[in-house]
Amino acid sequence: MGNVSRWTSVMLMLFLSSFSANASAEEERGAALKPGDMVPDFTMPATNGFGQRLAEARGSFLMLIWLGRCDECSERLVRYQLLAESMALEGMKGWFVWTPRGDDRPPKMRLPVLEYDKKWRQSWLFEDRPAVMLINADGRLDHLITGDLKDNYKETEQVVMRWISQGRDYQLSE
Amino acid sequence: MRLLVLVGVFMASLVHAEDAAIREDVMSVKNAVLDLNRDLYELERQLLSPATTRAAFHITLNHGEYFEPLSVELSVDGQAEIQHLYTERQVKALRMGAVQPLGDLNLAPGKHDVTLIVRGVDHLGQGRELSITESVTKTSKPLITEFLIVDYEELQSARVELKYW
Repeated sequence: MGNVSRWTSVMLMLFLSSFSANASAEEERGAALKPGDMVPDFTMPATNGFGQRLAEARGSFLMLIWLGRCDECSERLVRYQLLAESMALEGMKGWFVWTPRGDDRPPKMRLPVLEYDKKWRQSWLFEDRPAVMLINADGRLDHLITGDLKDNYKETEQVVMRWISQGRDYQLSE
Repeated sequence: MRLLVLVGVFMASLVHAEDAAIREDVMSVKNAVLDLNRDLYELERQLLSPATTRAAFHITLNHGEYFEPLSVELSVDGQAEIQHLYTERQVKALRMGAVQPLGDLNLAPGKHDVTLIVRGVDHLGQGRELSITESVTKTSKPLITEFLIVDYEELQSARVELKYW
């Protein structure tokens, strides 16, 4: 009898834990991220090479650029690409996340262009696009800049410069 | 005065002994929790993957000169079960001989059609898709399999083979 009740309680616990794990994962992915939050891990395929996993970027600064509607919008993104490349020596990476719509074609960039597709369960989509996320080496969101990428470029550049130099100072003081 | 000091020392030693006893109790409770956790983990493992239904799938890359995987999807009896996206680091590991556990599934004893589709690029950088469909028989013993992506020198191509462990 004791055994039966133990098994029943274990089954119940497993059921509840799997249910709550699913629910929390969904909530975590759906929730709007804000600075200070840990960015949930993802893996997404890239239109120009290997897929990328956020966890593998730990230890580097990451500028994650969520694109809005984009049909071969390479020109709009060139300045962001140059910014990321100019900061590569400081340990910063830059990734674009593109969500195809209709017959849209992806931008042709040198940096990884990740393609969001809900079929890949390891990925999630940030709703408030376009947006630039600056994710620190621990995987925490330090800055979030939402709105039109063209309008926000100047602000993004200034924030990135300040962010990188602060990060460098912090590493030196440790 | 001396008596007062003696009483003080006695009280302090009592408190000290009590602290030690509490610490010991806390340690034993912690150990009990750890034991319980281990039992629960073991039960969970047995419940989720008993030998009669356990089917484990692995994937390896042999050389990888003619094919570089970017994603893999495994389906059983027409139902998509496992999917994975590769990063450059993971493909490097596969090239160096890593065996990737794709995942464990619960399959009822009997025959099942297992399909694996690997998408990637060939040595010319062109998109390619390798696939294999095999009918596997699940017995009461665990089914442990490995999909090998092997180079096919004659055709300068690659193919997938299924191996039983």
